[in-house]
Amino acid sequence: MTVDSPRLRIGVYGVVVVSLFAALLARLWYLQVLSAEEFQVAAITNAERVVYEEAPRGRILDRNSVELVRNRVSQSVAIDTAEVSSAELQTSLNNLSSLFGVEKSVLEDRLEDPRATPYTAITVLEEVDEVKAVHIGERQDEYPGVVTLDVTTREYPYGSLAAHVLGYVGEINDTELAADPETYRPGDHVGKSGVEQAYEADLRGTPGRTVYEVGADGVPLRVKERTAPVPGDDVVLSIDLKVQQVAEQSLEATLIERRSTATDDKTGLHKADAGSVVVLDDTTGEVIAMASWPTYDPGEFVDGISQARYEELTDEGNGAPLTNRATSGGYAPGSTWKLVTATAALQSGLITGASTYDDRGTYEIPDCEAQCEFQNIDGVGSGRVNVSTALQVSSDVFFYDLGYRFYRERESISEDRNEVGGNAFDDTAEQLGFGASPGLDIGGDAAGSVANPEQRRSLHDQYPDKFPTRAWYPGDDVNLAIGQGDLVVTPLQLANAYATVANGGTRFSPNVGLEVREPGGGPTVRTVAPRVANQTVLSAEVRDPIMTGLSLVTTGQGTGAGAFAGWPRADYEVGGKTGTAEAGNRQADGTRTKQDTSLFVGVGPMDDPKYVVAVVMEQSGRGASAAAPVARAVMGQVSGVEPSIP
Amino acid sequence: MTAVGRRLERRTPLDNTRRPLERTWMHLDVVLIVATGLLALVGLVMIYSATRSGLASQGASQLSDVRKQLLFLVAGTGLAVVTVVIDHRIFQHYAAVIYLGAVAALVLVLSPLGVTVNFAQSWFLLPGGFQIQPAEFTKVAVIVMVAAYASTHEGDLDLRRLAVCLGIGAVPIGLIYLQPDLGSVLVFVAILMGVLLIAGARLRHILVLTLIGVAGVVGMLQMDVLSQYQRDRLTTFVTGDDEVDEGDGLGSIRYQTSQSKTAVAAGGLTGTGLFNGTQTEGGYVPEQRTDFIFTVVGEELGFVGSAGLLLLYGVVAWRILRAARLARDLFGTLICIGVLTMLMFQVFENVGMTMGIMPVTGLPLPLVSYGGSSMVTTLIGIGLVLNIHMRRFT
Repeated sequence: MTVDSPRLRIGVYGVVVVSLFAALLARLWYLQVLSAEEFQVAAITNAERVVYEEAPRGRILDRNSVELVRNRVSQSVAIDTAEVSSAELQTSLNNLSSLFGVEKSVLEDRLEDPRATPYTAITVLEEVDEVKAVHIGERQDEYPGVVTLDVTTREYPYGSLAAHVLGYVGEINDTELAADPETYRPGDHVGKSGVEQAYEADLRGTPGRTVYEVGADGVPLRVKERTAPVPGDDVVLSIDLKVQQVAEQSLEATLIERRSTATDDKTGLHKADAGSVVVLDDTTGEVIAMASWPTYDPGEFVDGISQARYEELTDEGNGAPLTNRATSGGYAPGSTWKLVTATAALQSGLITGASTYDDRGTYEIPDCEAQCEFQNIDGVGSGRVNVSTALQVSSDVFFYDLGYRFYRERESISEDRNEVGGNAFDDTAEQLGFGASPGLDIGGDAAGSVANPEQRRSLHDQYPDKFPTRAWYPGDDVNLAIGQGDLVVTPLQLANAYATVANGGTRFSPNVGLEVREPGGGPTVRTVAPRVANQTVLSAEVRDPIMTGLSLVTTGQGTGAGAFAGWPRADYEVGGKTGTAEAGNRQADGTRTKQDTSLFVGVGPMDDPKYVVAVVMEQSGRGASAAAPVARAVMGQVSGVEPSIP
Repeated sequence: MTAVGRRLERRTPLDNTRRPLERTWMHLDVVLIVATGLLALVGLVMIYSATRSGLASQGASQLSDVRKQLLFLVAGTGLAVVTVVIDHRIFQHYAAVIYLGAVAALVLVLSPLGVTVNFAQSWFLLPGGFQIQPAEFTKVAVIVMVAAYASTHEGDLDLRRLAVCLGIGAVPIGLIYLQPDLGSVLVFVAILMGVLLIAGARLRHILVLTLIGVAGVVGMLQMDVLSQYQRDRLTTFVTGDDEVDEGDGLGSIRYQTSQSKTAVAAGGLTGTGLFNGTQTEGGYVPEQRTDFIFTVVGEELGFVGSAGLLLLYGVVAWRILRAARLARDLFGTLICIGVLTMLMFQVFENVGMTMGIMPVTGLPLPLVSYGGSSMVTTLIGIGLVLNIHMRRFT
């Protein structure tokens, strides 16, 4: 060993130390600079959790900005399980159980909510008494981990008013969630029907979003980013609160009243178990009122509804209160249908306003094979009538004759009843919107159906068991002419058809929404424009005789004269058409499974029609006796001539 | 010879006797002191960052760990000052006493007086909740003992003397292996190799020792000498850590390495900013305030801060290496080399395991990791170096 040896070895040692440092620096450079990105992503997903907060839903207002649906702040009790020991939790559960008189096991079940996260307290009680909520807040030692929360819920200041139009809100289900996973998260509340559903995008608002940075144990450390929820917009409806109130009150009262009256055949009292009213502005297609009875309280859905209660609300035996009969109830229109037959006959040139027919009370189909004789409802003739007076007195015979002549007008008629073609009657029914969904903005509007030879053949070919008849007979046209037979219409369709004739041929897709406004009475975001579904020009030769006929209905010998007795015609001329339709099926003993449907469609003012009121009441008897008085009350309110509510 | 003559010329006996200590203090290595102080300071800040949110959630003061570490720092500095004041040649005289005292402590810790933490019975419990790890202090004791023995033979280590040196190391290594504390065992092996290399061991002997060492590690892995826990740590390093599989022991070590690498890498070039590291503040890195303290530096201060920290260690290494060269006797040189090896091996192993290039062994990052025994031992080691450097002319 030389003297220099230790020095050399120290030098070697120094080189080793330097190379070790170089190795560390190289690795550091690789991790932090060259591959930092992938690790940064890992660090972020490691450490972030996002919590959403539902925005307050927008309000729903009537056309005069009266609140129909608003939000109410209520108190909920929740437990922050991450904050307490299990002994403390038991204390809280015991005390809550005795304070609210709720079984402890019920509270424990609610704590098992699978949606619970450590970032938010779990709600165990909703809509609690405010005094009790304050009590909990003051005695935190007795209620460790228990918090009271302000919860915004839907409130209906008018209870069940317009329930079918407004619809209800409920917790999102799996199907709805799967349809739009970008917007919704489990536990969100969404509109389930009516305006709440159709205007969901406007009402919903934007949920608040809080990004928490969380530790390895899942406990939030700090808020990284927070956006406040943006409240939903208000939706203004074309519904007029007062007209709606009158429609509902009058409908309900009259139905109940009808239950103490005997049926025409004196076999018993009217059941009068259901009905509906539709009021349209025929110049725009706006829905001014829409009532359906029996009804329900959308407030029942606020805290979630039990399966049993939901089944009750949808049970046919209870009249299915959830069903909106105005849009989805299917009825034979009876004599109200004569509007369609008259329009078709005048439009196709089959008759003119001056054409007459001698109504002797009965009508016998020429060259007849099976059922050949048809008669007026009372078997009494009206003498010589034209189309206007036939509408006034509701002469069936006049329209039977038109029905038969329409049969003769069909494009091809042969001995083979299977070869019968179409005609102007079919076309007019389609023009006026029958057999197709009206296109209501809030949906739920049924299409109904109007039989025609081609449709009957295709139905039979598809479902021979369900539709045994394939042939088309003269009797079919004769029956259709007075609104019976193979015909299903909805009250909304009926109102819309009258509105189309009243305004001269423009058929609108009706709207319940009028405009969308920024929350809290802010400026208008957008206007719901009227939508024209079909445009035909009804000439004066076609329209005038019909309008005259409708006007005559409420006067003199008119079928609606009684109901409109005393109406100030000079100030506001009102017209309409009654209808009494057979319902249900004929039984072996000759009686039917259902009593007659009472219908009335009113129009006013006749010089420049603005409003159409359609009333349909199940098992209520004559149109003049049940539906017409309701229509008068509603017309009185909407026109301002006889307001029940000032 | 001329150099020695000049040295004698410039120094008068009168000077030497009149103000010996003042003259000596003037040669104190301020650079080393500053670098050491800065490292300890960085440690305090990093411990604060790693522990504040966890302590706060337990309801304790956010500063409670920092306060304890400050206490260790003060105690260590006090012992270091004592170490500096006593002439290192006195340590040479009492090397055997120091060594035997340390060995006695190691025996004692294996008795029921010792407590087990993290699978190793390495600790004495002190009043006030403090723990003391005798293996740490034994490192300095072994350095002094080996240096004292090797320096008496002035760089001539034949096989017999080499064997004595290895024997000096083997006793504490064996005792520590029984705890078991694999990391500390490796530090002792490194210290022995480093000191023996400079002390003048034959190159062929060193080569043979290295081969035996490698064979020994392989053999330990093959035979069932190591516990599953130790083997997992080593094999995880070899097999990689891509899968995070919690539950079994292997998974949790993979998880540890994966989270630690993620934290360091997430820092990027300039870091997330002090107290802003999501991995750190979220407590994702297990054992962060102690063995994985480097991840805080990596995440919050980035490459710039991490490289700066390594640079500080570089300065410390440079000053100790310089002291080793300038030391007036071989004993001093060997002490410096021993301390340097002790520190640098721990820095390399600790930072290396944090970044996934070394196996996970429970070694602290000197001066920075939370822990009293390591802090005090390191400061005593630095004190020895300062002592030797300061007295290079006496």
